Amino acid sequence: MKKKVLALLTSVALVATMLTACGSESAGSKGSGDLNFEIIVKSYQSSYWQAAVTGVNQKAGELGVKVNCTGPNAESDIADQVNMLNNAINNKPDGIGLAACDQDACLDSLQTAMDAGIPVVCFDSGIPNAPAGSVLSTVATDNYAAGATAADNLYAALKDTIASATAPVRVGEVNQEATSESITSRGLGFIDKFTELAKADGKSVAVIGNEYFVNNCKEAGSEADADIIIEVAVPAQTTVELCATAAATILNKDDTIGMFGSNQVAAEGILSANENLGVLGTTPGETILAAGFDAGSVIKSAIKGGTMYGAVTQSPLAMGQTTVETLYKIANGEKVSDIPTQGYWYNADNMEDASIAPNLYD
Amino acid sequence: MNKKNNVLSKFNNQKFIVLLVVIALFIFFSIMSPNFRKYTTVLSILDYSYYIILMAIGVTFPLITGGVDLSIGTGLICYSLAGGYLIVHCGWPTWAGMLVSVLFGVLIGLLNGCLVSLMNLPPFLATLCTCMITRGLGSLCSKGFGIPWPTAGTEGSWFRNIFKITVGETKYPIGFIWMILLVIVMGFVLNHTKIGRYTIAIGSNKEAAMLSGINVKFYHTMAYVISGFFAGLAAIAYSAVFATVQPGSGAGFELEAIGGAIIGGVSASGGVGSISGSLIGVFVICLLKTGLPYIGLQANWQQIITGLVLIGAVLVDILKKKKAVK
Repeated sequence: MKKKVLALLTSVALVATMLTACGSESAGSKGSGDLNFEIIVKSYQSSYWQAAVTGVNQKAGELGVKVNCTGPNAESDIADQVNMLNNAINNKPDGIGLAACDQDACLDSLQTAMDAGIPVVCFDSGIPNAPAGSVLSTVATDNYAAGATAADNLYAALKDTIASATAPVRVGEVNQEATSESITSRGLGFIDKFTELAKADGKSVAVIGNEYFVNNCKEAGSEADADIIIEVAVPAQTTVELCATAAATILNKDDTIGMFGSNQVAAEGILSANENLGVLGTTPGETILAAGFDAGSVIKSAIKGGTMYGAVTQSPLAMGQTTVETLYKIANGEKVSDIPTQGYWYNADNMEDASIAPNLYD
Repeated sequence: MNKKNNVLSKFNNQKFIVLLVVIALFIFFSIMSPNFRKYTTVLSILDYSYYIILMAIGVTFPLITGGVDLSIGTGLICYSLAGGYLIVHCGWPTWAGMLVSVLFGVLIGLLNGCLVSLMNLPPFLATLCTCMITRGLGSLCSKGFGIPWPTAGTEGSWFRNIFKITVGETKYPIGFIWMILLVIVMGFVLNHTKIGRYTIAIGSNKEAAMLSGINVKFYHTMAYVISGFFAGLAAIAYSAVFATVQPGSGAGFELEAIGGAIIGGVSASGGVGSISGSLIGVFVICLLKTGLPYIGLQANWQQIITGLVLIGAVLVDILKKKKAVK
């Protein structure tokens, strides 16, 4: 009996610790007349989100508003994020900034937010099917165009290799998941642009691998008579080691000439896989050319060192700032619309340029 | 006659069967995919197996006591983030960061041990709680940032050579030698030292162990400390192989280690198991994880097949017990 009581007490103590830990996080309660915004990021998994949160806090400090940033542990924790969104709505803030992990999972919550009169601004990822009027503005990179930018640059480098190939060649793509708007748009943007460019040069293309991408790209083609095979891999969870395993499978094939990782985690997975394979480089035909997405110290040093060919970066800092600014405008009764932000191609040559360098966070 | 019996008993040994399965899987994938039969694939499989092997060696001890340690997966990431943060952001030398990782593991192991043996929390519940705690602690330690331990070629990156050395153009997976040595050492600890024998005794019959004068509380705690220690070592192996360590990941690693141990013959109800079995069992999981994508199966299928293999292993365990009772 004594032991049972002791066990019970320990459990209670543990739960109490957890609760106090949670409590201190949401300490930013409403002040007198102050504006209070809830910001929900996709996760704290990569420095990309750290940069976005820094932007949010900077702007909040400037405007003198209160923000409370939360986000799930991993970008695949969709249910956790929906829960956080519902909690945010219950707190009745003056506005919510949301980077949704899943395009559809938040739809009910958005309706609730609208009914409660809470304006929502989406950032990083849009929600195309959101109930009309619930999302007042979307601050996001045109991800489809950003994916196409990667395809443009990679194709240009591989053009000669493709033209002179006597057998079918393979281009791999690693996407950390197939649920968020940003990742799927980038992945599809890359596939569609690469296909378009190849077709213009008289080559046929087949898309194989993950069903979502095969079914949603413009033209999947047939593998049997394709000159270029685009193979899409999606791991079961959004972690570097699973992205690495997925990437290694494609990198190990003799006919692979190019590779695209559609975010920081996927690009780092490709680099991890290359640790053993040593097949990446910047010489078309001899090495596999890899294009990444986003920045971070690992990707930056790989591009500088000639392991990765180049990458597309966004400006998460500016995205975070703009999100808070937009919420502020809405709270003050201003009309707002969607704000597209840009994706920039960078490689070893232009990394130091004034237009690029500020977007290359660590 | 005796010799013949020995050979026969080997065939009845789950470890031996599992070793045959590993070889069969390797041959199967090699035949099915020309890209699989490459030296670099073997190198990758080994690289990605070290952290799971180390966790499996450690978790074999709590499993044999009839318990489990669910905190090793998220713990691994937590220890790695803590050590890595000190190296990358505080300028600590690499060895000090590594030491912190291991000590952190021992500390959480000690906490697990106390919760289980002194406070009598069910191991599943106690380690589930520390699993959550370490998941959160990891993010706190690194202030939410992913941590890249010193990358190859930079200052302080010597620890990457512990597991893989490059001579000329070729890379050699020397980590495998350390794994074999550790398996031999821990196999000796399990079978020929007090700690090991008492661990088995606790798992077979805790009451009897207590009545025969064994300090059950101490040795029960030690099983979890060993598990934590190896999770700390696994943190170093993980950091040495992958470019970055992300806060929030790690959930699910423990299941690969526990699954490997159970496939390798550790009884799900305690009292039986071997370190070498756990090593071989882990390779079944690693081969499936690496090999299935090569034959074109998507991620979801890998998980389903690994799950089915585990059910098979547990069924074998149950059948063996039934046979023993008869």
